[in-house]
Amino acid sequence: MMTLILRRLLALPIILIIIYTITLTLAWAVPGNPLENPEKRPKPEVIEQMNKQYNLDSFPRFYISYLTSATGIKYASDTLSGQLQRERDAASAQDTPLPARPIFDLGPSLKYDDQTVNEIIRDTLPVSITLGASAILIALFVGIGAGIIGAVKPNSLADLSTLAISMIGISLPSFVIGTVMLLIFSLWLGWFPIAQWGTPKSIVLPALTLSLPFAAYIARLTRMGMIDALGADYIRTARAKGAPERSVLLKHALKNAFLPVLSFLGPATAMAMTGSFVIERVFTVPGMGEHFVNAVQNKDLFLIIGVVLVFATMLIVFNLIVDVLYKWIDPRIE
Amino acid sequence: MYRMLVPVLLLLALVAASLLSDRPLPRADLVMLNASEVNTLDPQRMSWMHDLRTARLLYQGLVANDVLDDDFAIIPAVAESWTISPDAKTYTFHLRKDAKWSNAQPVTAHDFRYAWRRALLPDLVSDYVNMFLNIKGAQAFYDWRQQQLEDFPDRPFDSAADRQRAAYELWEQTKLKFDDLVALSAPDDHTLIVTLERPVPYFLELCAFAVFSPVYEPLVAPYERPDPTTARLLRKPGWTKPGVLISNGPFILTRWRIKRDMRFEKNQYFWDKDNIAIDSIHIPSITDPNAGVLAYQTGAIDWIADVTAPYRGDMVAQKQAFLDEHAEQVAQYRAQGLDQFTIDRLLPNDPRAHTHAVSSFGTYFYNFNCNPTLPDGQKNPFADPRVRRAFALCVDKRSVADEIRRLGEPTASTLIPPHSIAGYTSPAGLPNIGDAKDQAERNAIIAQAQQLLKDANFPDDFIVEMAFNKDSGHDLIAQAIAKSWQKHLGVKTKLQQNELKIFREDLKTKQYMTARAGWFGDYGDPTTFLNINQSSNGNNDRAYNNPIYDQLLEQASTELDPAKRMAILSEAERIIVEEDLPLIPIFHYATIYMFDAHKVTGLSTHPRTKQNAYLIDILTDNKGPNQPKPMRHNAPAEAPSP
Repeated sequence: MMTLILRRLLALPIILIIIYTITLTLAWAVPGNPLENPEKRPKPEVIEQMNKQYNLDSFPRFYISYLTSATGIKYASDTLSGQLQRERDAASAQDTPLPARPIFDLGPSLKYDDQTVNEIIRDTLPVSITLGASAILIALFVGIGAGIIGAVKPNSLADLSTLAISMIGISLPSFVIGTVMLLIFSLWLGWFPIAQWGTPKSIVLPALTLSLPFAAYIARLTRMGMIDALGADYIRTARAKGAPERSVLLKHALKNAFLPVLSFLGPATAMAMTGSFVIERVFTVPGMGEHFVNAVQNKDLFLIIGVVLVFATMLIVFNLIVDVLYKWIDPRIE
Repeated sequence: MYRMLVPVLLLLALVAASLLSDRPLPRADLVMLNASEVNTLDPQRMSWMHDLRTARLLYQGLVANDVLDDDFAIIPAVAESWTISPDAKTYTFHLRKDAKWSNAQPVTAHDFRYAWRRALLPDLVSDYVNMFLNIKGAQAFYDWRQQQLEDFPDRPFDSAADRQRAAYELWEQTKLKFDDLVALSAPDDHTLIVTLERPVPYFLELCAFAVFSPVYEPLVAPYERPDPTTARLLRKPGWTKPGVLISNGPFILTRWRIKRDMRFEKNQYFWDKDNIAIDSIHIPSITDPNAGVLAYQTGAIDWIADVTAPYRGDMVAQKQAFLDEHAEQVAQYRAQGLDQFTIDRLLPNDPRAHTHAVSSFGTYFYNFNCNPTLPDGQKNPFADPRVRRAFALCVDKRSVADEIRRLGEPTASTLIPPHSIAGYTSPAGLPNIGDAKDQAERNAIIAQAQQLLKDANFPDDFIVEMAFNKDSGHDLIAQAIAKSWQKHLGVKTKLQQNELKIFREDLKTKQYMTARAGWFGDYGDPTTFLNINQSSNGNNDRAYNNPIYDQLLEQASTELDPAKRMAILSEAERIIVEEDLPLIPIFHYATIYMFDAHKVTGLSTHPRTKQNAYLIDILTDNKGPNQPKPMRHNAPAEAPSP
């Protein structure tokens, strides 16, 4: 177990560097300068100055400078070499104390003048995590419930209707479902607030909408797993020894049927937490998903790399957690 | 079995933890909505309308506009009085002693000097640096610093440490140079003396502009230091954050989460805090225009400052229907000279009445390329003013405003929205077929236009290209205009729709024949509109060049008598809108607000569309005087005393 965790954690930086390289290369290849703004046309010397300031004029220099400041190497080396102290002293001598500097510096946002990428992620990631985790929770309960019902009586009316609902959940785009829900539950019935993230009430609708495709997928996975398990010998044994049906289903069969769901849970959680752009738009949720799309549109280089790296890290970490849980729940796995 | 519950419990813990750490605050006294996210709270770097509006909550300049006065008069703010020298070049401001920063420190003349120096540094590239170049010596200082920065990379240095030292030395030198060159001095903490290069009759208007607000040097300076390799000041974000920002306005920033919300609380150190009727302001960030309107309807929002929902035309139409139902009363109130928000408050409350179309300080127009030749080298018929006049006559402005825009916007025959600048009389402008009283007048206009084309030998089969950017309904307007030109002038038209970026590029490089455009004024003087037609102006996208016009503007800039100066400027605008027509004014913009006039008061109906949210009083709460604040006519002039 420890070696698994260790191996994964060691692989993490390497994977991230590869992802960083690919993302930067792609983002760099997009034509147009991130500082060019059709609404406000900065003077050429401004663009030149900012290019210099952020190393936007040279790929290798940008590559190295971003890597060293994002990983904290720059901070460490500046501290060790005494550079940081020198700067601090110089600043204090001028009566302008140096503002605090983050250890892992993901750079400034080129689009939002007053924000750094660190701050944007700090403000938006918790929101996305709340929304994503709530959605996966709902998806788990709904999906597993529906899956069990379907598996107990395959091809019954209950099974077919859960199948139908899950097909709708997978195929209907979330902006349609979201808008309809908003209309019915917020505007007509007035049960939930509109566009005010923050209260538990305000999470319900977006989380529900976001959970639908995941719930549908989990339902199908559970149903398949349950049908397989219910036909297995150990279930017949359990029933033969007189175990109550509820315990047969939930204790014996579900345990095996749950494993595919669990392995789906890793990427699904990461996906739900970061890829909810459409839902965030419809329900005005101030999450990170929006920056995934807008940063690319705005060519906000630092922000693009920042959110991609955060997403990659989450994907890897959640997969690791799932793998650890997997092994713990089912010790047969090597 | 129970192990299966662990992932569920983990997720549950995650949700619970984030909910607990993110408790919502109680509803603010005023919840308002901007059209988009605030870009920056650094006053010297601002240029967006909603940024400036937010800045007026946080910072207070030397003087302010009285937005509830019909004349938009200049009133004292941090400066309690001022004197102007007889040659109209030297302004001496006397700062009030009780003006304080939000950390209880006094606001001094040095704070203004520091902020204005920031705005004048080429390093920090303020969008409005031109306004500061009016100060004597400012141009010289700007050029000097610019030259030093350009030369710096070529200077030889032995080591990086030397280079760094030189960068810091240059910065010290720059500060001394500023003291030396720029006629901006603070003889004591409460006196600021500024001398201008030449008289600028609207200089106090500029001082009321948020970009002229002070910033607190001990806070800002640490975030700006010379770059060791280029010697330019590097700007780090960070000082405009809640808990960090120190400001001198009616409110302080207590929360700013990107794409989520901003929150402001009353500044306990603000000298005039007793006259602020609300304690807190919340500005959520709702980018979806539709969601904003829905949230307003559920009562979560008190004021939407710019409704952009696609169906806003219908909202305005419903408002009109509501007004029509009470036509008699409305006419009566209007005859009494009441402003539109007051009338709304006096009428019965109705959800339809919450929509307000407010005239704006901006105009939508069509540009002509006035170059003698077109981009393809052939002769440009639009170089002839008669042709431009003919085309201007045959635009049905009424149908553009009433049938396409549908926002109750007035059609425009001038570039400057009439009645927006005190003391300025707008010229009449040309008639247009849409505003003709009857068919006879309409026919006469058309005949006149056709004659003009004939006189100018307008080529047959000439295809008029009309450029516009996609989105925002510009295509519909272009189609309507094209149709009336085809019908009445018998010309062929070709519509060119482009991405905003390409469209702008074409405009700047004059790769067009006619193109849509718009302009919003920055300060309360006709020159904010008229300067864009000066032959040397960077915003002269029309390549318009009339020495008489340029000379009139030049003459106005040296004229010390305000009335005479306004007359000269009015004559200049008359040339633009009656004779030369480098552009066709189509309509003056309106901004659509949503608020309940029975509940919210303190908003201005003045066409300058400058709102000071700190003047708002919620009539239904128990705070403040809860007295309606109507627009005031001919407010007593607050004469500055020495």
